[in-house]
Amino acid sequence: MFEKMIDDSMSKSPWIFHINAGSCNGCDIELVSVLTPRYDAERLGFRLTGTPRQADIVVVSGPITVQTRDRLVRTLAQVPDPKCVVSLGSCPCSGNVFKGSYAIDGPLEKWTHVDVSVGGCTPKPEAIIAALAKATEILKEKRKEMRK
Amino acid sequence: MSVLMNLFHVLVFPGLLFCVVMGVLLSGLDRIWVARMQRRVGPPLLQPLYDFLKCCGKETIIPRHARKAAFLAAPVVGFVALVSISLFLPVAGQEAVFSGSSDLVVILYLLTLVSVCMIVGAACSGAPFAGVGLSREMVAMISYELPFVLVILAVSSVTFTVTGNVPQSFSLQAIVDFQAANGALITRLSMIPAAIAMLLVIPCEVGNHPFDVAEAETEICEGTLSEYSGAPLAIFRLTHMVKMYIMAALFCVMFLGGITTGIVLLDIAIFVLFCIVLTFITSSLPHAVCARFKVEQVFKFYWTVVAGLAVISLILVWLGL
Repeated sequence: MFEKMIDDSMSKSPWIFHINAGSCNGCDIELVSVLTPRYDAERLGFRLTGTPRQADIVVVSGPITVQTRDRLVRTLAQVPDPKCVVSLGSCPCSGNVFKGSYAIDGPLEKWTHVDVSVGGCTPKPEAIIAALAKATEILKEKRKEMRK
Repeated sequence: MSVLMNLFHVLVFPGLLFCVVMGVLLSGLDRIWVARMQRRVGPPLLQPLYDFLKCCGKETIIPRHARKAAFLAAPVVGFVALVSISLFLPVAGQEAVFSGSSDLVVILYLLTLVSVCMIVGAACSGAPFAGVGLSREMVAMISYELPFVLVILAVSSVTFTVTGNVPQSFSLQAIVDFQAANGALITRLSMIPAAIAMLLVIPCEVGNHPFDVAEAETEICEGTLSEYSGAPLAIFRLTHMVKMYIMAALFCVMFLGGITTGIVLLDIAIFVLFCIVLTFITSSLPHAVCARFKVEQVFKFYWTVVAGLAVISLILVWLGL
């Protein structure tokens, strides 16, 4: 019963950690607007944490620049299981307008498994909330698999 | 039978279960109120419980540079110390499980132990952000400890000057009995500054928003908690929730004690109501109104304004008001 309660709470209290991998700050502002009174993601239990050790969902924005690549990989390794990686905006998916630049070493899928990706430059807050809600379901599935 | 009764006290009524239920209730209400004051819907009431259970289900990572034993023991010791405070509090017209002549001093030390455990845990995690966090936690501790001790002195000396008990008693039971005979302490003129000082001490002692310099998540990566994950983190979160309840209960006993109706359940209901109102005043309002203070601002505020209020209260007691 206790295990089942933990499984249920896994999708009810996802804590977000945000990594900026060379983003132009547009997606970052949209992510923060998700937590403001207008969209209020806290009603679904979302909370922005300051440390990767407490994160459940890692949100990565920006094309992966050569400078941020190593830090990104190291930070992702510090997140305890079960975890979810959400790529925010077009940049981590494809490189967006920066594709082909010598300074870019993307896409994000090259470095980690991406669970949910939101397209758009920048994505709407509604789309971000939908993606995060989907990530919580994946989180619950991962927890069930981890238990087996 | 007495063994069973003691077990009941430790595990159920003033002890573990009641503390945890009240802690979850108060911090859930706190989060909803803050959300409503910011015109948000806010999380469900049981959100703190979901957070706790979720943290239990996560992987526990122990950093390579950490001292493993102390890193894992610190949250548990702190939590046990905190829950044991509840056994010294004569809440809701009940007698305290342990009562002696110097409960308040013991409570003061146990509360310090909770903060010290957090400092030890942070120091053992071997992270630079935790180091910054623990130094801030120490400054916060020094800040609120002085006014807190002055408030305790004022409360104990008012019972002393009126009844003339020698030696001066730091017993909570004596303070509650005094209030039952002479009316709650908050109704006395000399105690009003002390009560305000205590209300201001509570958010810093708990580590709530305007005074959460040690866990400033945006500046120093959650500070003292920066390396904690999984079950130890869950226990730290629970400690934070229960501390909200313990401080509210301590205020109730010290300033609003002695209000009894004779019916146990009604007494408990009144006590819970007091705790909820106190949480609104001490946690939700400052959280919604104030931005986070700087470390030196916290120190200055507590050693001038709050300590000043407590000293005024001591002088009024001395004048016999």
